Amino acid sequence: MDVSQYLEIFIDETNEHLQNLSDCIMSLEKEPENMDTINEIFRAAHSLKGMAGTMGFKRMQRLTHDMENVFQEVRSGNMSVTSGLVDVLFQCLDAIEAYLENIKESSDEGTDDNEAIIQELNDILAAGTGNVPEEKKAPVEKPKEKQEDGKHSKKYLDIEFSEKEKEELKDAESKGLNIYGFTVYIQEECLLKAARAFLVFKAVEDYGNIVAYNPSSQDIEDEKFGCDFSFYLVSETELEKFLEVSKAVSEIAEVVGEKIEYSQLTAAEEKKEAAEAKEAVEIAKKEEKNEKPAASSEAAGAAKSAPAAAKKSSPGKPVTSRTVRVDIEKLDALMNQVSELIIAKNSLVSIGSTSDGGVVGVNSQAFHEQIEYLERITTGLHESVMKVRMVPIESVVQKFPRMIRDLSKKLNKKMELYMTGEDTELDRTVVDQIGDPLQHLLRNSADHGLENAEIRKKRGKPETGSIHLNAFQEGNNVIIEVSDDGNGIDTETVKNKAIERGLITPEQGETLSQKEIIDFLFMPSFSMAKKISDISGRGVGLDVVKSNIEALGGDVEVKSVLGEGSKFIVRLPLTLAIIQALMVEVRGEKYAISLGSIETIEEIMAEEIKYVQTKEVIHIRGMVIPLIRLDQLLDCEPEEKERDSFTVIVVRKGDKSAGLIVDELNGQQEIVIKSLGKYINNSSKIISGATVLGDGEVALILDVNTLF
Amino acid sequence: MANNMSVAGDGRKQFIVVKIGSEQYGIDISYVDNIVRMQKITRVPKAQPYFKGIINLRGEIVPVMSIRTKMDLEPDEFTDVTRIIILKLEEHGVLGILVDEVREVVTLAPEEIDKVAYDAKSSKSNFINGVGKHGEELISLFDTNSIIDETETV
Repeated sequence: MDVSQYLEIFIDETNEHLQNLSDCIMSLEKEPENMDTINEIFRAAHSLKGMAGTMGFKRMQRLTHDMENVFQEVRSGNMSVTSGLVDVLFQCLDAIEAYLENIKESSDEGTDDNEAIIQELNDILAAGTGNVPEEKKAPVEKPKEKQEDGKHSKKYLDIEFSEKEKEELKDAESKGLNIYGFTVYIQEECLLKAARAFLVFKAVEDYGNIVAYNPSSQDIEDEKFGCDFSFYLVSETELEKFLEVSKAVSEIAEVVGEKIEYSQLTAAEEKKEAAEAKEAVEIAKKEEKNEKPAASSEAAGAAKSAPAAAKKSSPGKPVTSRTVRVDIEKLDALMNQVSELIIAKNSLVSIGSTSDGGVVGVNSQAFHEQIEYLERITTGLHESVMKVRMVPIESVVQKFPRMIRDLSKKLNKKMELYMTGEDTELDRTVVDQIGDPLQHLLRNSADHGLENAEIRKKRGKPETGSIHLNAFQEGNNVIIEVSDDGNGIDTETVKNKAIERGLITPEQGETLSQKEIIDFLFMPSFSMAKKISDISGRGVGLDVVKSNIEALGGDVEVKSVLGEGSKFIVRLPLTLAIIQALMVEVRGEKYAISLGSIETIEEIMAEEIKYVQTKEVIHIRGMVIPLIRLDQLLDCEPEEKERDSFTVIVVRKGDKSAGLIVDELNGQQEIVIKSLGKYINNSSKIISGATVLGDGEVALILDVNTLF
Repeated sequence: MANNMSVAGDGRKQFIVVKIGSEQYGIDISYVDNIVRMQKITRVPKAQPYFKGIINLRGEIVPVMSIRTKMDLEPDEFTDVTRIIILKLEEHGVLGILVDEVREVVTLAPEEIDKVAYDAKSSKSNFINGVGKHGEELISLFDTNSIIDETETV
């Protein structure tokens, strides 16, 4: 079978399963007894094995198979989870990931057999169970295992019954009817599987009533199944008859069936309960995979939504596709077109407001109404497109708990990572690039921030260090904070290092503020680690973090208290392309300020301006806010005579505020951010871009974050 | 730069002749994307002094450079015939330069072009890589790349 066209789906799904496995193993380490987690792991490993097998990746299949064996023993209670086991399991994951990398690059899994890991797995298995790993052990407990081995297994055993179906079965039995379970295998090369299934149903329904289907009858009709389907029927007729008539249908490979007691069914069900329900979904999912040759796009969607369904423990119906995978480039193109549309809309708005109905033959009232309508539509359209591009940062941060665990072992420090706000959404392009910087910051916290256990004890801190990663939205920004309760930044040491490196003279060092000293840490090749490890300390760290984040239009801030810990605050723009902005005028020049950073707008009198350390400030509602005269900042011509009142825009970044003095306000507008290009030297970064206004004029966008 | 010029079969090249101050300059036509009328230029604070600012060219933001400022001539005077020549260089993007007037398009044969010796002291001659003779008139030929390159290194 040619499987190359499913490679992409395979890679995507394998990634998902790997992540799932990694998460579960992490939580397993904390709660080794949690059956739900163990079952989840077992299923993920099982799916991986199945997928690898289908795609012909034998080595990967073998490794996952051995993993599955281990979990099988854990699941049946023959083995307990130890830290050593978890370590080996993580090695397995790494090995599978390595296979996957190879597959991504060359469509081939590579030649590494990972014998060592497999050996270790088997050793653990042997040690844990006290005998040689034997697959056939406890056959009653593992119908799924059997199903893997035998070509035609009794899949009908996995059918999940609804209340109604149970009723029917019970009724039938009480009436003295027989209950039969069947699984029908259609030949793989069969073209009209649905038609074959229909013929089978038609044949058997002559003798009995079908009560339950797997997949559902609708899905069978729509050909949404692999090469097999199962059903239950009630009838007076003997089993042999059914096997005979259903086998008589052409292109049927095999029919397995047996008589089943109702009590048998329900007993098994009660025993397994919720776990079973999930498993049914799993099977449905597995079948979805087999179905790929028939409808690959559907399979991708369905497989994706299957985990969600599993959580709800819904019955074993294959979930139909509700998602579409779209190339990000197509979204970019869509976004650009929306941008152009917004510019066009803005020019219509400005024509409408300047002509005042003076346009020949235009009914002013109707015209304005339509313009407003158009405005609403474009704003809605923009929001929708933005939302499509937004993805939760979860995909990036979910690998961190594992990383911290590894670091904890490697550094021999106890630490715990707490994450909040994983569902915070960001533009896809930002999310794709935020991983490395965050990873750097976390490593930094683990390596430099947290002290070792002895020192922590001495300082009266809990032995286990904690690292927090918090993400949340603030206005038009998303803030991601990485904080630790470690040592904090020793500004004296940093200062001495800076002096030692000749960056500043000792005299200059005296006058530096804490912030200025911390800024040294962001300079290229300025590492504070006393010894170089492979975790950090090569001096390519924080400067890369800073430049990466700045390239995304964000910034990094550090707060640190010596002895108590430090906090890195990463601020990222929510969107990259279109923002709501306040238009202001300074000496006739138009500037846009992102609405997200504006707190209030104040009218103040000249005499309200006070001086603190020769800097102009205003005192509003108990806050002393430094003033920035935009005309001076932007090198405008000075005004001839001093005004007696000013318009002040109070902007904020984190907990800091500043007041910008402008000449005039021009209202709020949706603007499309365009780059200034690379010719113009913009090292001060006050101007973050330009935008085209409705009348074709160009306005510059002020990045107020650079003013602090 | 010779390899990138528009070559009319026999090595003849076409130039757009523009006036800046009292001199005539030729710009290799293969670099010229467009010629637009003078329009409102938005000043960019903190930019290099020879950048007058940016304009909106059909929705695209294009930086505009003053050759006069760059060559230490007196400041630009905007008249009815002032034009912005939009240069397009592969990989470098789009750049506008201000000229006092656009005259004509001339075709020069290789023998009509004299190379000029570089005079490192004069900032002006750095942008010129040849002098063309067209009838009685002399045309200084811009080295388009040197305008760009120097801009980029800032």
